[in-house]
Amino acid sequence: MGELNRHREKPLEINPIRLSQPMGAALAFLGVDRCMPLMHGGMGCTSFTKVFFTRHFCEPIAIQTTAVTDVAAVLDGGDGSIVEAVHNITRKVTPSLIGLHSTGITETKGDDIRGAAKQIKFPIVHVHTADFEGGLESGWGKTVTAMIEQLVEDRSELRSDKVVLLPHISMQPIEVEKLKEFIGSFGLQVVALPDLSTALDGHLGHKQGALSSGGVTVDEIFSLAEAGAVISIGESVKFSAAALLKKNPAMRHMHLDHVQGLVATDNLVEKLMDYAGLQQPSPTVVRWRKRLQDVMLDSHFALGQTRIMVTGEPDFLAGACQSLTEAGARIGLVLSSVDSPQLGRIEAERVVVGDLEDAEKLQSEYDLIIGNFHAEALARRYGKALVPRGFPCWEMIGNQLKNDLLYEGGAYFLCEAANAAEAMRMQHHAV
Amino acid sequence: MATKPKIRELLDESACAHNSTRKAGCHVTVPGATSGGCAFEGAQITLFPYADAAHLVHGPITCIGASWQTRLSHTSWPGRDMTQMGLTTGVCSNDVVFGGEAKLRASIDYIVAQYAPQAVFVYSTCVTAMIGDDIDAVCRQAQQDHGIPMIPVHAPGFVGSKNLGSRLAGEAVLTHLVGTLEPAEITPFDINLIGEYNVTGDMWQYTPLLEKLGIRVLSTLSGDGRIARIRTAHRARLNVLVCAKSLVSMPRKMQERYGIPFISVSFYGKRDTSAAILAIAEALGDADLITRTRQLIACEEARLQARLAPFRKIFHGRKAVLNTGGNKSWSIASALQDLGFEVVATSVRKSTEADKEKARRYLGEQAVLMTDPGSQQARIIDETGADLLLAGGRSLYTAIKKKIAFADVNQEKKKSYGGYQGLLNLAEDLKNALENPVFKNVARRAPWEN
Ligand code: SF4
Repeated sequence: MGELNRHREKPLEINPIRLSQPMGAALAFLGVDRCMPLMHGGMGCTSFTKVFFTRHFCEPIAIQTTAVTDVAAVLDGGDGSIVEAVHNITRKVTPSLIGLHSTGITETKGDDIRGAAKQIKFPIVHVHTADFEGGLESGWGKTVTAMIEQLVEDRSELRSDKVVLLPHISMQPIEVEKLKEFIGSFGLQVVALPDLSTALDGHLGHKQGALSSGGVTVDEIFSLAEAGAVISIGESVKFSAAALLKKNPAMRHMHLDHVQGLVATDNLVEKLMDYAGLQQPSPTVVRWRKRLQDVMLDSHFALGQTRIMVTGEPDFLAGACQSLTEAGARIGLVLSSVDSPQLGRIEAERVVVGDLEDAEKLQSEYDLIIGNFHAEALARRYGKALVPRGFPCWEMIGNQLKNDLLYEGGAYFLCEAANAAEAMRMQHHAV
Repeated sequence: MATKPKIRELLDESACAHNSTRKAGCHVTVPGATSGGCAFEGAQITLFPYADAAHLVHGPITCIGASWQTRLSHTSWPGRDMTQMGLTTGVCSNDVVFGGEAKLRASIDYIVAQYAPQAVFVYSTCVTAMIGDDIDAVCRQAQQDHGIPMIPVHAPGFVGSKNLGSRLAGEAVLTHLVGTLEPAEITPFDINLIGEYNVTGDMWQYTPLLEKLGIRVLSTLSGDGRIARIRTAHRARLNVLVCAKSLVSMPRKMQERYGIPFISVSFYGKRDTSAAILAIAEALGDADLITRTRQLIACEEARLQARLAPFRKIFHGRKAVLNTGGNKSWSIASALQDLGFEVVATSVRKSTEADKEKARRYLGEQAVLMTDPGSQQARIIDETGADLLLAGGRSLYTAIKKKIAFADVNQEKKKSYGGYQGLLNLAEDLKNALENPVFKNVARRAPWEN
């Protein structure tokens, strides 16, 4: 294990990779069918978030704002603009749910969003997401927890053929779908919370996007506690699973830090076989495991010569790094957006909570970057290879269709990384 | 002295067309029914193109984490392009409780030591304005210690819209930069370009023409701008406001303070570009310059005409529906007409009275000025038999349903459509859209549909 630095050393952030809690919350709400995320704050927070996700997913994104202005900021307790916002939203569309969450300014004011939500006669979930705390993952995790606490009905009986899947925020829509199918292949019915696989998967819809379409329905959320088990993937949603267990303590909890690479997927398969009482997974699963083994051997040479920097959210970092190191890659630098217990478990020469300026200063420690679109300039400046992953990836299309998970996606991921490394080496030789 | 501008005063902008119709100027926000950015975003858009200055956002991560590197405002600054950097104090809970001034000061020191910028803009945001950090005092002190301008920008998001933020940014430049340096030399044809951000290099489509005429761009706010030059802006002969109503208070104040007249122009389409260049020459008032300008315009238009001829053949008799906002509702319409399209409808949903008038004048009596394009555009396409829809991404489905070509005009654009050259770029893109079979193919029914 290498060096781990959890504290930012400079007073400011330069070229940040960190993203805010309110943004994480908004995305979680977008995974609920016909939900309207309502950000309680200034207009800019919502507008930036909307543009950000629109560009990342190449889809129209519906998010609303309470549009706090100086008058509301100073005088009003904040309830006024929330009630008015809900009134204005529901005049035009009928959401299944309003996802009310706070921002920096309304947390600084100390608005009582719970009290405000109580005044509203409309299905609503409220959650505190100050943007001066945490990041994308914690915003997502808190929101999933809030949805469970405020919507899920208590149950005591169990349906053992049904499981709840809690994905972390860095899973692409197609990855959530693949994981649902994978678990489904063990004869189980899966409900994901939230479910971006049917919401932001980039299907050509028939509406113009006044509300999100697709995703888990509110009715499905009500009855989540009847499931026999909950599978949480990622540290950031571990406590959301705990909240669900409170609704039905008889439920089984299976937790995985991630599901990338051979070992983690084996681990999931083992748990699922045990839960479903099966001796053998489906032939497709067996076949893909063999393909992944083959790819690991095929790619180990290219990857073994390559030092890699991986940037992004902690749950993503844990998965990507393990998948790469299993195939012999050396992780020179892990650059995390925020701190997380996951960081302590990553095998790398150096793990830092920091920004892309830090990555620039340490550029001699890696040859290939796995990170978001902001890392592109860095890659170009220093002649590094780039495998674009994480938020945001603006200059690419098809982000939502990228699958890195399980045996199958793991194989694709290693191929892409190895090919990028080789292409870079060829280019360097050509110069 | 506090440098906080008086918001009320700025809202009451006499030269702003919004003002005659709306009591509250540009200050309209409706909870749950508002889209568009905050004042901070407006300030950022206005000032970020100064690539030689550091832009330090004093606030939590939302404000800049989601917005850095989003705008393609090109620069010829040979040093590190700070437009492409995101700098934030990243305020955390601790700062909210104890104040963020010390952190702000340390951040400025760090930036000056590491990147040696020509100036530092310090943007307050909702949280830091709310907790009352005195960014004026921090800036004053830092300016004294480092000897470069430190400009506090008081445009926290909650004060209002993007437009207001632009004005507040203009105000900051006016207070802290303009008039603080004398230019090495002045010419009779010095102008400032106000409100041109050189997005995708728009400005470079027409500045070579100005140069050819001997008109010198003394400074800009802020496309391809330099701090040292905006400081000398008070010596210009003319302020040229480019398609930007939000910044109108700035040239008006410069007129009051320095006696510099101003004109407002647009560089979209052939007619507007020619009119703009001529207006600049006329405002500078030199007979010889005006003659030369007319000659240049005639020559450029003839050249453009020749290059557009093949396109005009394709576009002749084609009908377009335009659904976009603000001054684009007539500026893009005029460009489309220059290309030979008949513009049968345009959206005036968020336009000012002046914009509507202009749209009517450009489009003629027959055309529809849509007030609710979302519900109107499909019907209008049917009624007019339009061939092309230019709109934001959300309208794509309308185009597919109607099986007509679509061009996205609201997307963060990558190519310049400004000036004479830009019209050729636009023609190229629209030709591709019209010829592209994708819209028809995507509209195909699935085998299981009937
Ligand atoms: S509304 Fe306030 S907190 Fe939100 S982005 Fe704008 S300045 Fe930042």
